[in-house]
Amino acid sequence: MAVGSFEFGLSANALNAWAVWILPFVAAVVIPGVAKFSKKATNGVAVAFALASAISATTLLPLALGNNEIHNQIPWISSIGLKAGVLADPLAALMSNVVAWVSFLIFVYSTGYMKGDKDITRFWFWMAFFVGSMQLIVLSDNFLQLFFGWEGVGLASYALVGFWYKDKKKDHVGIEGRRVLGLVDYYSPTHSGIKAFIMTKVGDIMMLAGMFLIFAFAGTFGFRELTENTAWATTMSAQHLLMPAAVLLFGGAIGKSAQFPLNEWLLEAMTGPTAVSALIHAATMVKAGVFLVARLAPLFFALAAIGINMDQFFEVVAWVGAITAFLLATQGMVHPEIKKVLAYSTGSQIGYMMMALGVAGLSRQFVDGYTAGFFHLISHAMFKASLFMAAGSLLHIVGSRFMTDMGGLRKYMKKTYAFMWAAGLGLMGAPFITTGFWSKDAIFAAVYESGNTWALPIFVLALITAVMTTFYTTRMIGMVFFGNKSKHVEEMEKEGYHIHEASPSMWIPYGILAVLTIGIGVVGLAFEHQIHDIFTEYLASAFGIKSDMANVAKESQSVLGGFLEGVNPVALVSSLSAFAIGFGLGYIFYIGKFVDSTKFVNSNIFFYAIHKFFLNRWYLNALIYWGFVVAPLYFARGVYRYFENIVIEGFNLVPEKTMAGGARIMQATQTGISQSYLYVFGAGILIVVLLLLI
Amino acid sequence: MIDFTSTPIILTMMLGSVGVIIPVISVARKEKGSSLYGGIAFAALISAISFVGYQIVSKHVTPAAIFSKNVLVDDTFGSFFAIAMLIVAIMTTVGSFNYMRGKTSPAVYYSLILLSSIGMVLIAYSTDLVMLFVAWELMSIPTYVLAGFAKKDPSSNEAALKYFLFGALSSGIIIYGISIAYGITGSTNIGQVIAGFSKLGPDMTPLALLAVAMFIAGFGFKIGLVPFHMWLPDTYEGAPPTISALLAAGTKKAGFAAALRVIIMGAIALDLNWAFALAIIAIVTMTVGNLAAIMQKNLPRMLAYSSIGHAGYILIGLSIAPFSQIGIQASLFHILNHAVMKASAFIAVAGIITTLSVSHIDKIRGLGKRMPITSLGLVISLLALAGVPPLNGFWSKLMLFGAAINAGSVVSWAPYLAVAGVLNSALSLAYYGWIIRKMYFEEGESEKRVKEPKSVIAVMIFSIIFIVGIGVYPDPFIEFAKSAVPALTNVTTMH
Repeated sequence: MAVGSFEFGLSANALNAWAVWILPFVAAVVIPGVAKFSKKATNGVAVAFALASAISATTLLPLALGNNEIHNQIPWISSIGLKAGVLADPLAALMSNVVAWVSFLIFVYSTGYMKGDKDITRFWFWMAFFVGSMQLIVLSDNFLQLFFGWEGVGLASYALVGFWYKDKKKDHVGIEGRRVLGLVDYYSPTHSGIKAFIMTKVGDIMMLAGMFLIFAFAGTFGFRELTENTAWATTMSAQHLLMPAAVLLFGGAIGKSAQFPLNEWLLEAMTGPTAVSALIHAATMVKAGVFLVARLAPLFFALAAIGINMDQFFEVVAWVGAITAFLLATQGMVHPEIKKVLAYSTGSQIGYMMMALGVAGLSRQFVDGYTAGFFHLISHAMFKASLFMAAGSLLHIVGSRFMTDMGGLRKYMKKTYAFMWAAGLGLMGAPFITTGFWSKDAIFAAVYESGNTWALPIFVLALITAVMTTFYTTRMIGMVFFGNKSKHVEEMEKEGYHIHEASPSMWIPYGILAVLTIGIGVVGLAFEHQIHDIFTEYLASAFGIKSDMANVAKESQSVLGGFLEGVNPVALVSSLSAFAIGFGLGYIFYIGKFVDSTKFVNSNIFFYAIHKFFLNRWYLNALIYWGFVVAPLYFARGVYRYFENIVIEGFNLVPEKTMAGGARIMQATQTGISQSYLYVFGAGILIVVLLLLI
Repeated sequence: MIDFTSTPIILTMMLGSVGVIIPVISVARKEKGSSLYGGIAFAALISAISFVGYQIVSKHVTPAAIFSKNVLVDDTFGSFFAIAMLIVAIMTTVGSFNYMRGKTSPAVYYSLILLSSIGMVLIAYSTDLVMLFVAWELMSIPTYVLAGFAKKDPSSNEAALKYFLFGALSSGIIIYGISIAYGITGSTNIGQVIAGFSKLGPDMTPLALLAVAMFIAGFGFKIGLVPFHMWLPDTYEGAPPTISALLAAGTKKAGFAAALRVIIMGAIALDLNWAFALAIIAIVTMTVGNLAAIMQKNLPRMLAYSSIGHAGYILIGLSIAPFSQIGIQASLFHILNHAVMKASAFIAVAGIITTLSVSHIDKIRGLGKRMPITSLGLVISLLALAGVPPLNGFWSKLMLFGAAINAGSVVSWAPYLAVAGVLNSALSLAYYGWIIRKMYFEEGESEKRVKEPKSVIAVMIFSIIFIVGIGVYPDPFIEFAKSAVPALTNVTTMH
């Protein structure tokens, strides 16, 4: 089946697979040079390279659809047997297309959004670097190369989150002056960049450990090699090291995908330019973790064939996903900042994907959950990128990140209004016409049908999350577009500012994605079946994971027959009712405004307490700061004051003085007098003769 | 019998004729201006290195060999060194464009660089002791002049004088070694000398031993082995900084070429416990170099000590040559890497000295803002010298220390070399880090950006690409170094 398992030469396809990730890096290198001649031209260059990379990615699709793969390797460091390579199997090919096209649209959007920023060169450099690193992750055929991309993504996110390094007040996130457990809940861009970097680094180190643990036993980093010969797994399993290694690897995904308990960086990452947020949330950073799990899950699942049970790993994945989905959705319901709401929503939706992938490994029909998770990744990439870019336009026009400063904008920004509805419906999972509905439904069905002991609690959590998702999305649209104009907007108009639609280079990209959300949504079920078929074949041929055909036959007896063939009735009814409840509540509070939400929250102590609990992020962020930042600082100061000063300074003089003394002796011998040098030279010959005689 | 198509001969003719013509042009040409001569020298060196590259790619050079009936052999060992030396010569030439502006007799300066590089290249190709000595002198004499090129500067004069004094001494010692070798074997051909050494009776062995010791001392002077290193910091500090680059990165490496050709082979034939002796010298050299470097306040001087430390690292590979397959390969790879790293560090310092006329470490505070590209190049070179991944120095140090640990299965003391090397690398980070800290994390007196010399920028860009490029993709150069390792089995089977 493999088209390109050759070691020699490069077919056109293999060349394209390399080009997908190399082109963005080339762009990053070229852009500073172009900027020397014309800063404006950097826009064109960046977009052109993104387009070229996307087209290269598209050429990989026909192969993926035919369940072929390109696997091309070149020697990297042959003395230790390392090879660099690209692996474009159906999973990687689909993923790289999602990444490439969504980033391309975001690049187009950025040309409008970043207009006039004097640091545009730096912006494009890191954006291109970001996309290149992500494509490197997607197309790598081994762990080590993937890790290079992984760190590249981390570095780029650090640079872009802290892009506005002058820490102006308008670029902060959080509410100024607000305190949680005595710590400020208000962060500057530079602080947020470092926070994102360090928190994801915790995961990275775990991943590095897992990676080398496997390498120590398998002697290879290659994904294909690990699949072909599974003797390493047997040895590791016998020594009880396989599960820790797998969970450590998942630790990397937790960090990068902002899953519980490393989820807190994602909110502060909103300090970056909105185009960056869109990129982080839809295409590059957080999806990397999901991709890693999607890369590894079949590998681990297939180990069942040689009698190794990996259920614990999948349980961890499923639970982390479910908890994150729930945790972040609760907080998304109460925050007043539009980008933060979207950020919470991303974390929550990524949780869904993880949950689906985890559940896949716990069920007999691996492919169902796998497809559901990946389908949700695709649909989320579309509607979330669209929502973020639309939110960026709002910020741009209104000049405030708070939804309470917007309101009643639907008459002024008709296009943004329409597209936000379309994409928002996708996030809510509006029945039958949005991709979000079908992908979420697929996840529910996969969880429900998995037959695992944990299926029911996870299912319930997922369902409650869906209600909340619909609610906060409705709330967001209601607060921004409905009701009366806020004081802030009125003041702006008084000063002569005219609220207007965003420029075409901005609304066209999110328009396209919003339309796609609905367009693909209409044929969503067919689309899902298509992915399902691709993955069924892929998993069977690459990993030997066979799908149970009897189950498929059972599915076709579903209630509505024909149109809804293959849809689980329970899942369907659940997602329909989740949408109905969430949307209904949201409508009552924020669109119809039958009940004033603030009064409602303050009406009784129970609601007030919950609201505050959610707004304070379950106190997790504050606890992390207390535990890992404030306490160590106090401890370090204490150590310095009571230990370093008294104990170490007392005893430590010995090595310090020896070193300094040694260095001083060396210095003293260097007299500058030639006679003494010659003397040493002569003595040296004698010493050498003596040494030779030893 | 001279083969006029062999690489060393053609290189000699190419560089030699240009080297002689440059001063002639300057006599004929009335107007001043140094750039023409630099340009000619640059072109000559570029065509020389391209020629060597072509010879290697087109497989005109023979596999690495130590012995030959002729005085010169056209093998990959020599070509490897030729590439390394010529890179250094090119970097020095380009780096000098700015330094030489407005200085007297630029034509002579560039001509001397060319002549000296012929010497460096020929050493690596020599298979005869007399040829080797002639090449050695051809390399050394121009550098004595170059070290004192700033003739109105007392410290440059002192540098040149000390250098010359020690150079003359070591030349004498080498000659003495050669004469002993000739006396007991009746030949100056390295192959025959070694063959003769291995058949010596016990009464002659002490003499042979003395010859090897003389070679170690004589070549060790150029390499900067402790205790033959005393002249080195004074000279590197006083000489024009671009010439320090040539000395530290070029002539020092030529010393290693000679050492590899003569000492290692000779010592293997003599079956002495020379490996242990070299190991001790290696440890002492790296420790002394790094310890002394910590206290230095003057940039060229600090780099001088750092290059003593690196001579110690390179010696690790030589000392374990008989016990590990990759010992010499690692040394060669580190020689090439160190040549580029050290040359680029010195030229960055030269750029700093010529633009701001400071060389004291306290005066470079906040330099990162004033000379961003030079500072970046310096930082990358220093990090590479310290062996930080993913830069080229990391891989060659990894190979060196790995080889030492590997050799532990044969000789028990070898792993301690790796321990010493790692400890020393950590120690060296202290002073490299110190420079970086001064440049980037301390406030300078001024933040105004100064104009960086274009020639220095060009060298910096080249070395950044080289250092990072090899760091990311070291494979071709590791393989190149492997192909340049002479087959030691030939020697050991001779006796």
